[in-house]
Amino acid sequence: MRSNAKSRRSSPSQPLRTKRALRWLLALIALVCLGGCAMQAVQPWQRGRLARWDMRWDPDPLQAAMNQHAYFSKEGTSGEIGAAGGGCGCN
Amino acid sequence: MSLRIALAAALLAAAGAASAVEPGATAPDFSLTPFAGTHSVSLADYRGKVVLVDFWASWCSPCRQSLPLYNGLQADFPVSEFAILAVGLDENSDDARAFLREHPVKYTALQDPRGDVAQAFGLKGMPSSYLIDRAGIVRYRHIGFEPEDINALKREITALIAKPAAAH
Repeated sequence: MRSNAKSRRSSPSQPLRTKRALRWLLALIALVCLGGCAMQAVQPWQRGRLARWDMRWDPDPLQAAMNQHAYFSKEGTSGEIGAAGGGCGCN
Repeated sequence: MSLRIALAAALLAAAGAASAVEPGATAPDFSLTPFAGTHSVSLADYRGKVVLVDFWASWCSPCRQSLPLYNGLQADFPVSEFAILAVGLDENSDDARAFLREHPVKYTALQDPRGDVAQAFGLKGMPSSYLIDRAGIVRYRHIGFEPEDINALKREITALIAKPAAAH
């Protein structure tokens, strides 16, 4: 009886071992992924390309202002960009 | 649960990897090639002087104000007491050279295209400047630039120059 219990403890059943191995593998993959995040951080001195004019959200401020004006004139009743709509559509 | 703790620890370790140089710390030494000339310039050459190490780039818009204003700052103090080392961080040195043609400087402009020195200082933002005393210790750090910041810099430089070298 006793030797039976001992052997069960020292060598867990096959599915349990696979489960444990899988868990470790998952942890390892997660750690490697985290390392990837650390590598990708853009440092303040590496923003040269990001600072380029054509990397802007709106490269042309005049075009962006006109687009926005057309948009909020059309969408005035529904609250346009974030603000609650007055309903008059009078922009 | 232990997995979560392990992940949190790994995340913290990753976040703390880049340590920044704070006032009171010894400035990391560096050796860089200037834009004008071929002989490399190192921070150690300036031991005994008060040094302003400024990190700039052609794409950094506050630098368009700070670099020309530093000409006046250098002129306000004797060259034997105070020096400016402007570390250019453009990956493409032609961009930096064009910027320097547009905004000529009367102090030493150095090139660090790979950002090694910026990494060593652990820059938190652009532009960043570090005022280093005669003994090579960082005494003042400034991130960002507004034209009126030059006054605070002047005060700090005056105070540091007034301190005798032996006091450190």
